[in-house]
Amino acid sequence: MNTTVKTLALAGSLALILSACGESGDDNASGGGELAGSGSGDSCVIEAPVPVGAALSLTGAAASYGESQRKGLELAAEQLAEQEGVTYELTVEDDATDPRQGITVFEQFAEDQSVIIGPTLSNGAFQAQPIAQEAGVPVVAISNTASGITEQGDYIFRVSLTEAQVIPQTVEISKEEFGLEKVVVMYSNDDAFTESGYDVFASALEEQGVEVLDTLTFSKADTDFRALLTEARAAEPDAIVVSGLIEAAIPLVTQARELGIEVPIIGGNGFNNPQLMSETGDAAEGVVVGAAWNSASEGELNTAFLADFEEKFGHQPDQFAAQAYAGMTVIDHAVRAGCSGEREAIKENLGAVSDVETVLGTLSINADRDAEHPAVVQVVEGGSFTPLN
Amino acid sequence: MSESVLVFIALNAILAYSFYAVLVAGQLSLGQAGFAALGGFTAAALAPAPSEVGDLPALLVAVVIGMVVGALAAVVLGLPTMHLRGVFLAIATLGFAEAVRILLINAEWTGGANGMSVTKVVTPVIAWVCLALVAYWFWRQGPSSYGRALAAIREDELAARAMGIDVGRHRLSAFVTAGAVAGLYGVLWAYYVRLLAPEDFDFARAIDGLVMAVVGGSTVWLGPLLGGAFMTSVPEVLRSIGVEAGWIRPFISSALLLVVIIFLPGGLGSLLPRVGARAPADLAEGGEGLAPRSGRALPSPGETVVRVSGGNKDYGGVHAVRDVDLTIASGEVVGLIGPNGAGKTTLVNMISGLVPPSSGTFEVLGTTPGRTAVHKVAQAGVSRTFQHSKLFPRLSALENVLVGAHVVSRPTFLRRLLWLPGARRDESQVVVHAARCLERAGLGDRSREDAGSLSYGDQRRLEIARALAAEPSLLILDEPAAGMNHVEADALSRLIGSLAAEGLTILLIEHNVGMVMRTCDRIVVLNFGEVIAAGTPEEIVNDPAVVEAYLGGDDATPPGTETEEVR
Amino acid sequence: MQQLLNGLFLGSIYALFAIGFTLVFGILDRLNLAHPAVFAAAAFVGIELVAVGGLSIWVALPLVAVFGAFLGLVIERVAFRPLRGRPDAHFAGLIGSIGLGGMFIALLLWRYGPDTRRFPVEAFPSTAFDLGPARVTLLQVAILVISVLLMAGLTWLVARSRLGRAMRAVAENPRAATVLGLNVDRVTATTFALSSALGAVAGALFALNVNSAQLGMGTAIELKGLAVIIVGGMGSLPGALVGGLILGLAEVFAVQYVGSSWRDLVAFGLLFLLLVVRPQGLFGSRRVREV
Repeated sequence: MNTTVKTLALAGSLALILSACGESGDDNASGGGELAGSGSGDSCVIEAPVPVGAALSLTGAAASYGESQRKGLELAAEQLAEQEGVTYELTVEDDATDPRQGITVFEQFAEDQSVIIGPTLSNGAFQAQPIAQEAGVPVVAISNTASGITEQGDYIFRVSLTEAQVIPQTVEISKEEFGLEKVVVMYSNDDAFTESGYDVFASALEEQGVEVLDTLTFSKADTDFRALLTEARAAEPDAIVVSGLIEAAIPLVTQARELGIEVPIIGGNGFNNPQLMSETGDAAEGVVVGAAWNSASEGELNTAFLADFEEKFGHQPDQFAAQAYAGMTVIDHAVRAGCSGEREAIKENLGAVSDVETVLGTLSINADRDAEHPAVVQVVEGGSFTPLN
Repeated sequence: MSESVLVFIALNAILAYSFYAVLVAGQLSLGQAGFAALGGFTAAALAPAPSEVGDLPALLVAVVIGMVVGALAAVVLGLPTMHLRGVFLAIATLGFAEAVRILLINAEWTGGANGMSVTKVVTPVIAWVCLALVAYWFWRQGPSSYGRALAAIREDELAARAMGIDVGRHRLSAFVTAGAVAGLYGVLWAYYVRLLAPEDFDFARAIDGLVMAVVGGSTVWLGPLLGGAFMTSVPEVLRSIGVEAGWIRPFISSALLLVVIIFLPGGLGSLLPRVGARAPADLAEGGEGLAPRSGRALPSPGETVVRVSGGNKDYGGVHAVRDVDLTIASGEVVGLIGPNGAGKTTLVNMISGLVPPSSGTFEVLGTTPGRTAVHKVAQAGVSRTFQHSKLFPRLSALENVLVGAHVVSRPTFLRRLLWLPGARRDESQVVVHAARCLERAGLGDRSREDAGSLSYGDQRRLEIARALAAEPSLLILDEPAAGMNHVEADALSRLIGSLAAEGLTILLIEHNVGMVMRTCDRIVVLNFGEVIAAGTPEEIVNDPAVVEAYLGGDDATPPGTETEEVR
Repeated sequence: MQQLLNGLFLGSIYALFAIGFTLVFGILDRLNLAHPAVFAAAAFVGIELVAVGGLSIWVALPLVAVFGAFLGLVIERVAFRPLRGRPDAHFAGLIGSIGLGGMFIALLLWRYGPDTRRFPVEAFPSTAFDLGPARVTLLQVAILVISVLLMAGLTWLVARSRLGRAMRAVAENPRAATVLGLNVDRVTATTFALSSALGAVAGALFALNVNSAQLGMGTAIELKGLAVIIVGGMGSLPGALVGGLILGLAEVFAVQYVGSSWRDLVAFGLLFLLLVVRPQGLFGSRRVREV
């Protein structure tokens, strides 16, 4: 290699490293205007746009959830901007499903954002959210369902229901509906979300006196479940209970039907996705999904959300999009309540959120900073989710 | 630059160093993620909580635990896998790492997929101090005799063995170093990211580490640092210059990786000026280097150095060597000649221990080649050159000779770490010694050139210089004059003569029969694996069996004719 | 019985993925880590051909193979050929192909988004047979047959055809092959094209089989593919088939008798044990290679 190329390459890498050094802090999104406004509620007027940072997994293993969340947030920010008085400057950043980038993104957001949304995955949340807590920036978790998320500090809030708020109800209603006595449980044991989902399923089943014939584990990257399903079939259960993500749900449900397993399949939050029907066809019939969002809700907000989302993005939203959308609704409510886009005010008012109408239903934030709103148990019938009870 | 970017540069560089530790010895291991996970989880479970004993003490205890566990895991994995090479080693270690991850996911004490929460203790200063210590270790290791031995193993394992390097021990210790550094990474990671989850030590993480080590340059001690800094800053730079989040960022990162690999052979480290061992300007400087360095006296003249009786080698029915008896006394110069394929090289390979005999007894300088490990035979005083040059191509000529001096130099690595003056003295003595060997072989002005870039004749001479550096009692030269012109061959003859005058025992395989006649006291002729004649040069020239063998052969060259092997 | 069949079908997919890997390794001594990206890309392209282009699966599969072959040529030209003759060509090729694979995946993300996709339900008749207690779909049988046919064809190609002889000559000694008048560049490129075409067909069939295609599907199977080529013997084509079947069966029986949590441990433990005891694999020749 000749010297010129070497020099160029050296200069290039130096420039790269130097520009990495000089990156922080100069584009303060709140620039210029005042974040404290006048008025309150609907009449609140804040001069500067309120900076909202969202750290989502747009690439890497969790990209499909992050992408849904981004769409939900963008739709919400766009619609909120049409209302008088308060606008939001939404910055969506990618953590590439990598804790290293998640931490870095949170650190950057902690410098210049009024409120942070995310991250997508619960493990990432445990790694990144303490940074916001230390910097005193309120965080709204929109998809983390693991226990302990909000215990990290008084700046951490969430609008997504925990498994403990969804699954016991799912088990109870399914038991009534199908007369469950014995089930087989399957879950992916290398994923924090599905493993904590399993824990709740296990204790709910025990509480309801349903016998667990067998517990089978798989990896979140698996797509061939025939061996496991054959085992499950041999146990002759009344239903198969699955704590898995949608990536697993689609092949799992199809293969179960293909192997002749006709008993109900009961899933958690991970199954609440229109792809379940669009990608499995008839196989999804009879799948029971306990979820935080009732996609079939006739509520005015929800029907409008479904229509607007479909119009903007050309497909149906999933629960991740709906929760993201609701997250922005809750933030907007908190900002307007104090009529301030400053961190402390948002934090105070997030804690006081009570009976806010969202696409998820009427939502309140409790003393533990967790959301409370109705959960739903749905069954797939005729190619769409319908409430089971 | 934000705090986390600083910390992750340091952590990534440490991970890259754990790959560098084995790459310098030519081993591709992907088990580091497993070592890191074991180190991190064990340390987090066993070390006292920072709230009880303070941040730094807790971290120190954790680091010690992590490094010890990492190193132990490397021993456990290394012992059964050290005979594997290349991709096989990579996949075996990868299998180990995956097994560790599955065990950790299924174990109770690790919290499974939900992981373990750990107090954040690591700051940029701590991370960089750890990185500095690791980098320091490898900086001092590089030019030590240990570091050169590893480089020699990477370049040519067989030649390294023949130079007296205990390859198994060196490879294992490189592996253990990798394990300890990976354990350190696991602990620092745990004490920075707050949540230790098995999924953070998966195949992708191992690939990350490998990529950073190779992109940085796997033969330059600063390489892993450069690689870590480069790979960590690319996403940050893309973010800060406003490249939209989404597919374009991984696309650019991957493309940059490809560009660096294709256009920068040797990685980013190749951009740095290379510092190698330098020959002293004046060889008379280190006068004390004159004394024999080995402390091993030459066998007294006439003493038996080599005794072969009934030596046989079968290769699946082909008798390469059959029933050879050969005795060489100290101080003799013995020529071994015969047509191509007569079994000459096989015979010397058995004498130097590289090839085990099928039957027969071999005794060389008190060792039993074939049963004694190759490096032990070399340590007993056997040194050799190879028919097809087996130099260490990416090392300089001087470094090649320094490796040759492995058996007569004292280990300097640990003393170099502590900057003990003795290390520097030993190093400069061995450098003077090596430079003299180069000088003797007529390569005094080539010392800094890479062996791979030398001309063919120079490579032959460099092999001789390297063999001489071991101060052998028995020097085996396998066709040293091949490819040399008359002038060079004459110079070589003179060199062999002067070595013999010093009392060295020499076994010379050569096609240049004229040279053999001039230099050797005694000549042994092999044909079809059998000794057909042995005696003084005069006896051999007149032996009808020899003439027959040469005239009957395919590329017959009767003795007494000057010939050159053309390649 | 059902489990035996499950293992057989799973194993045939592993094998199909692994033969592409092992072909390049056996002949060119290079590990091509862009192979998993080809696997995923082919699945997505295949789905588009069938779902959007409205083609029958039997037309789409050959097209996917052609697409894979094209990717193989790109991989060879961009990530491997520039490195030839470098002392670190093994490492550099490994890393270079990781980079190129990353670029492919990024392009897929751009074109298709991050969501799971699948072939339309009607792409393949969902006929199923009941064999006693076991149930087999037509698709699974088709996959097994295609795998065996491809593998047999490939083995014949390498063993008997002119191209195969040229490949083996290049494998033995590239310099000598050049002297003999073989166009080493062309043989190398053809090998990559063949390998990637096989990887592509494997990807499309896999997506059909499990009714899902994801960006990470190649990475998920990559480790298993590596295990298969080691178990079968590096560079051995029949080895890849047998290795794939062994791994598939081992996994299935691990689920049945050991417990599903330990399934992958059984697979990797087997691999590890085999490497320690018989590093050349079941069908490999004892030839030690350096990376």
